Amino acid sequence: MGTRLLSGSVAALALGAACTLGSVASAQDTPSWCGPNEATLALLDGFGGNSWRIVTAEAGRQEAERCPSITEYFYADGQGDTQRAISDINSMAARGVDALVVFGDAGPAVLPALTNAYRSGAVVVPYRVLVGGEAGTNYTRFVGASFVDDGISWGNFIKEEFPDGANILFLSGPAGNSQGLEELEGMRQVLDDSYVFLNPDPFAVTNWDPSLTQQVLSAAIAQHDDIDVIVSDFGPSLVGALPVFENFDRSIPTLVTSDGNSLGCFWTENHENNPEFDLFTIETGTDNVRLAVQWAIAEATGGEAPDAEVFISSPFENSVTSDPNSVQCREDLPGAIYLSSGVPADRQAELVGN
Amino acid sequence: MADSTNIETARPMPMTGGFSLAKGFVTIVVSTIALIVLCYVFAPSAVTAGSLMGSLPFAAVLAIVGLGQMLVVQQGGFDLSVPGGVSLAVVIATHTANGNDAMLLDAVLFAFFCALVAGVLNGLMVAVFKLNAIVATIGMNALLFGAVFAVSGGVPRITTDLLAEIAGGRSFGVPHSVFFALGILALVSFVLKKTVAGRRFEAIGANPDMARAVGLRVELYEGAAYVIAQLLYCTAGILIAGITREPTAFQGNSLLLPSVAVVVLAGVSLLGGRGFPISVVIAAFFLNQLSQFALSIGVPYSAQTIVQALALVFGIGVYSINWTGRFRKTNQSSMEEENHGNQTA
Repeated sequence: MGTRLLSGSVAALALGAACTLGSVASAQDTPSWCGPNEATLALLDGFGGNSWRIVTAEAGRQEAERCPSITEYFYADGQGDTQRAISDINSMAARGVDALVVFGDAGPAVLPALTNAYRSGAVVVPYRVLVGGEAGTNYTRFVGASFVDDGISWGNFIKEEFPDGANILFLSGPAGNSQGLEELEGMRQVLDDSYVFLNPDPFAVTNWDPSLTQQVLSAAIAQHDDIDVIVSDFGPSLVGALPVFENFDRSIPTLVTSDGNSLGCFWTENHENNPEFDLFTIETGTDNVRLAVQWAIAEATGGEAPDAEVFISSPFENSVTSDPNSVQCREDLPGAIYLSSGVPADRQAELVGN
Repeated sequence: MADSTNIETARPMPMTGGFSLAKGFVTIVVSTIALIVLCYVFAPSAVTAGSLMGSLPFAAVLAIVGLGQMLVVQQGGFDLSVPGGVSLAVVIATHTANGNDAMLLDAVLFAFFCALVAGVLNGLMVAVFKLNAIVATIGMNALLFGAVFAVSGGVPRITTDLLAEIAGGRSFGVPHSVFFALGILALVSFVLKKTVAGRRFEAIGANPDMARAVGLRVELYEGAAYVIAQLLYCTAGILIAGITREPTAFQGNSLLLPSVAVVVLAGVSLLGGRGFPISVVIAAFFLNQLSQFALSIGVPYSAQTIVQALALVFGIGVYSINWTGRFRKTNQSSMEEENHGNQTA
């Protein structure tokens, strides 16, 4: 979206002092959502302790950096502690930070703190996790991700691959999580009754934990000898579990999920021995934060509103058609990075690799 | 405090010991067989070779953790640092080695060193400074998780190929982790039942006051329980790191409750005393098979959790009934026994 003005002169200057002028280069690349009024911005994470969150925080920081009107950028990690997350929000509001972008892991528990911050005049943008309340009353705007669209993307691929129906095993995280329910809704919009879900309704519970996933999957494989497709909303957690198929002398079936370097490399290593192992992934959504940051900055600096209101993950890898990409694997980098992310892979590796 | 039941059951050695052992042992064996029959009837897929290959490694891990918890429970304690101990071993085995087979030995040794330090600290706090075991070990758990974050930053890392082969591979069609569990079972059983130190350990757990009176070094044995327990958690953690290709940094969290459950199901008194290593291992298999059964018959997740909770209640129930049976047989009610019954009910 950004207009690349003066890139030629920047390139020339960069010859002289590449490092110091990095920020100047991005300053001259001002996007439309970055308005003229100066503001400070804070990214508040409810839990920052996994690679997905680390990459997300970096994506948020990079996005804020693109706007020269942002004079100061703060980041706080609630470390999975609701009290800490609430006090982070309160202290940022008390410091007079102009815009808060909040990953409200604790859900409605952080709403009162968000409401206070909003009423004290800050721009408050919760994203991805529903916190309850209403835009305009409790916060400025909620920037969600459309998990229904994820389900639709998956459903479309399954329909293409198995036009006459298929047996599907759908794995999601903790029992009743809204992400899994929305994804199922999306798949059901596309897939008719000839597509049978083998798992208990609405999805097999894995808590996104690789060892529980492994146990759930071995039980499911033993029970059903006709699994055509496995759908999971956290692909990398399957990597430990997929070799279970070997115990049954069966090919790994088609896998429909979100991307991760470990998964891409696993496919690269194993697809030849598993003739039915096709892979389709959507972006894992580490760039959802960018849209939230854009909205927060637009509101705080008087910039133009971004086009999108909801983040939609695009398809990322397709082992059958290679459209939009063939399966990606960077063997030299850690497994816990996401090649779909806007944060360059090497930068992710630096962050994740301690 | 003075627990005559435990002293009585701790006394008989091989022959008569076999009979008194039989009750707790038989209960868990009968339950396990009943469960296997149930599986054959209602969920045959849960007992196929492929399914067992997938689930046995986790039963083995639980068995090893359970044996550690058993040693602590035998000394009348509780070890709530299981999640931290296991998770730390997992992240050290994956992060320190960092996918490099050559670094694996260093990583494993470092993991055991950390476990040793944690165990010694636990032992000092509980046995020497007489802190409440629950308070001391929950504090240690928090410390261990601090170390987990320091090592890993909470980020999972892929395990090394060598460790995946050692812990997750198979020989003669049996997962390696099962051999580890059986080896550790043999070791714990032998030391506990056939060596002087092991007999003292059980006697001290049954009645520390009496043991002190006869001149045994109570603190040393009590502290040792925590040290050995940590070493066992560490072993389990390293195995998990090999079994699960990309383990999370919090892999131990789901093991705390089951580790207590298998000890209870095996009929070990929560007041301390005699240990039943074989029963603990069978109970681990039982609990694991129970969740496979629940998964295979396709009950909702909520029901699975309830089924496991019921198994725990069943274990405690059986334990009480066992006690009542003995109570009737002796047909005498000493004050101590009555206290014991009230506390366990």
